[in-house]
Amino acid sequence: MSAHPNNQEIKDTMASEKPRDEMNRRDFSRNILAGGVLSALSLITIPERAEAWLDGNFRNREDLGDALKVIEKTYSDTDPYPHKFNDALVKLLLRDLDFAVRKGVEKEFCEDYVARLGVLVNKHLKKGVDQFGDDIFLWAMFERTSCGYQLFEYIDIKKGKRSVPCPFKPMLNHLAKGLGTYKIVWADVCSKWCSPTWNGFIKGAGLTERIKIKVEPGDICTIRVV
Amino acid sequence: MTDVSRRTFGKQTVLFSAFAALSFPGKAMAFLDKIEKKKFLYRDDIGYAMKSIFMTYDGTSKYLHKFNDVVSKTQLRSLQFHINKGLDKEYVDHYIATMEPVLQRIKQMVAAEGTEKGLASLFEDNPSAYQLFEHINVNPNQRSFPCPYKDMLSICEKYLKTFPMQWGDVCSKWCTPTWKGVAKKIGINVSVHPGETCEVKLISQS
Repeated sequence: MSAHPNNQEIKDTMASEKPRDEMNRRDFSRNILAGGVLSALSLITIPERAEAWLDGNFRNREDLGDALKVIEKTYSDTDPYPHKFNDALVKLLLRDLDFAVRKGVEKEFCEDYVARLGVLVNKHLKKGVDQFGDDIFLWAMFERTSCGYQLFEYIDIKKGKRSVPCPFKPMLNHLAKGLGTYKIVWADVCSKWCSPTWNGFIKGAGLTERIKIKVEPGDICTIRVV
Repeated sequence: MTDVSRRTFGKQTVLFSAFAALSFPGKAMAFLDKIEKKKFLYRDDIGYAMKSIFMTYDGTSKYLHKFNDVVSKTQLRSLQFHINKGLDKEYVDHYIATMEPVLQRIKQMVAAEGTEKGLASLFEDNPSAYQLFEHINVNPNQRSFPCPYKDMLSICEKYLKTFPMQWGDVCSKWCTPTWKGVAKKIGINVSVHPGETCEVKLISQS
């Protein structure tokens, strides 16, 4: 693969992936297994929250063809940058944040997100944390929700810590180069979107006394329960 | 498995190409050319996409999760917020304004290649569209696709009860004004026919 003339161009945005790739796969299997056990436990106690997760029907789905075609189309599209499965979502979130910041409503925008989409999280998260510990908060924010695994290219799972490649930084760079019409900068995304929404879910679930998180933004963003 | 597979793939490609080049130069060159053009084959990050697809499609309880769930849900949530704030029109205008430079480039292509290029740039050539619509039917002067919002809005209202807007609001306050606004910028006219399968048609310029 390395002999391909376009390889350098593709590699530019994937520089940090190689070593993480192998480690991540190993960790992924382990953690999926651990998650499966956890899910089974949850299923007994918190059915509403756990039952929708990885119920083993992948191979029974008849609509996989459309998904695979979109993946093929996306990953064949390397101009002006190598497109990824999360591009549309990342662009949408950035554009929305840009508008919210221009209108000065970014705080409300985050609060609305948590209140409108976090109904079930707010209802069940505290019970889960009480039963299984603080790591459940991270589980619920990242690998358990489609809002996590459809946004982050991968999620490194460690107890009390999740690491994800920031999907916003490279996209903001592409948008700056190709459009130059966005007012927000990368730091705005960390301080006006990611951190406030994660902390918003803690507040929404009534866990402010129990859970504090430390967000370390970067190309690889790390979120720890402290 | 992946490492071995990649190595094996590389070796076999080289061996096969060399052999083929010696014996059937014409065919071999065509084969090499095909491989060369398939950028998909050179991506090392497809595994991540497949894992995301697996996580998505393995979840079938409550409703059948799809690759476009979060994009459509996020779009609906934003639209609901902006409708509530009375900012929905400005929200559409902002979308078009941020796209301005690329719309100018597309306008030039439409002028050179024809209106069909404009329709393609709205849909099958646009990652934000082909990652949103489950599939896009491409016909001359017309694109159709399953509406990603109708089912998701029902699901959100059923399980979250925080989405009071109607499906018609999505058509009239988001899809139609953005498509028509973008179309105008790139020099085409379109008509929008909302439905479970939504159709967007070119209107001939007179």
